[in-house]
Amino acid sequence: MGDLERLVMEQLWAASTALTVREVHERLAGTRELAYTTVMTVLDRLAKKKLTERERDGKAWRYRAAAPREELAADLMRDALDRAGDRREALVRFVGQVSDEEAALLREALSRLDGQERTG
Amino acid sequence: MITPVLLAVLALVLTGPAPAVLARANWPYRVPRAAVILWQAIALAAVLAALGAGIALSYSIAGEPGKPKFDPSSPRDLVAALILAMTASVVIRLLWAVGKVAVGTRARRKRHRDLVDVLATPDGLIPGLRVLAEETPLAYCLPALRGARVIVSVGALDRLDDSELKAVLAHEQAHLRARHDLVLEEFTALHHAFPRWVRSDVALEQARTLVELLADDDARRRSGPRPLARALVALAGSPAPEAALAAAKSATVLRVERLADPAPDERVLATLTYAGAVTLLVLPTITIAAPIVKAIVKAIS
Repeated sequence: MGDLERLVMEQLWAASTALTVREVHERLAGTRELAYTTVMTVLDRLAKKKLTERERDGKAWRYRAAAPREELAADLMRDALDRAGDRREALVRFVGQVSDEEAALLREALSRLDGQERTG
Repeated sequence: MITPVLLAVLALVLTGPAPAVLARANWPYRVPRAAVILWQAIALAAVLAALGAGIALSYSIAGEPGKPKFDPSSPRDLVAALILAMTASVVIRLLWAVGKVAVGTRARRKRHRDLVDVLATPDGLIPGLRVLAEETPLAYCLPALRGARVIVSVGALDRLDDSELKAVLAHEQAHLRARHDLVLEEFTALHHAFPRWVRSDVALEQARTLVELLADDDARRRSGPRPLARALVALAGSPAPEAALAAAKSATVLRVERLADPAPDERVLATLTYAGAVTLLVLPTITIAAPIVKAIVKAIS
C-alpha cells in the first residue's frame, strides 16, 4: 500500500492541475493494473494524511498534492537532521556528524583496527 | 523521623551526584546492557525514594499515636495532608510527562513515516528499507510496533560498500528489534517531568550512548567490527553543513575505539552491575516497607 501511495503522489506532482480519481487511474494504467476503487481508497488515505487536498468538481472530487515534492522532501530532511530538538527520540540516527578533531581520532582508531587485521 | 530523612538523602544522591559520577566512568561502556539496567534502576530508585520520603514524612507528622483519624483542626494533620498532596502531584507530573512524550513521539514518527512512504523508494534488501534520494549521508530508523522503517539516503549508499551497508542495516535492525527507542522515551519523560533547576540530561545522554553501543555489539556479532567501524567513519567523517553543530564530545569516537579494541569477557563486571541495580531498587523499597511490615507483625502477634 505504501508503494501505491508513492505512485499516486508522483502522478499528482507531475500534473499541472488537480486530478479526478478517474484521471489518476488512467495515468497509472500504463504502469500498473489497478482497480478504480483501489485508486480511490489510496487518494482518500492520502487526504487523511494531509498529503493531498481535494475539492468538489460537480459530482467528482479533484485531488492535488498538498505541497510540492521539494517542499515535503525539505520537511523530511529537516525532521531527520534535527539534533537540537527535544523530541529527537522519534528517530534514532546511525551516526551524527563529528568535528575535524574527532574525525582524526576516528581515522586513527580505524587504522589500528586495520593493523590488527593484518597482524592477527 | 529517621526514615523520611534517609529516603530524601537517597533521592538527592540518586538525582545529582550518582549520575554525575557514573557518567564520567568508563566501565559502563564495557557492559552496555547491564549499564542501561543500572541507569533505569537509578532513575526508578530515585523516584521511589522521593515518593517514600514524602509519604514517610507525612506519616510521621500526622496525628498522635493511637489516634489514626484525620483531624482537620489539627495543624499537624494539615501539614501532613499538604505533604501527601505534594507527593501525589509528583506522581501526576511523572505520568503526565510519560503520556505527553509517548503521544508526541508517535505523532511525529507517524508524520515522518507518511512522508518517507511517498518520497522514498522501497528496497528489498531488508524489510522496511526505504532509500531516500538525498545527497546528505544519512541512515536512521523509525521504530514502530508494526511497519517500522529503516531509511538510508543515496548519499550514504554512495559512501558505503556492501559489507559496510550490511553492518549499518544490522545496527538499525538491532535498534528496532530491541525497541531501544522505548528506553530513550523513559529517560526523556523523566527529564521533562522535573523542573528545569533540578533536572539534568546526564541520564538521557548516557542512555543514548549506551543503546548505540548495544546496537553496535549486535552488528559486530553479525558482520565483524571492521565493516561497522568503516561505516561509522565514512558517514560521520563526511563533510556536511551540520558538522558545525555537532557536540564537542560525541559518542562516535568512543564507538569506533571500542570496535578497534577487542572486548575481553566482562561477565564479572556485568554481574556486579546487575547486583548494584537490584540493590538500588531494594534499598528504598525496604525502607518504605519495613515500618509497614513491622506494624502488621505487631498487629498479628
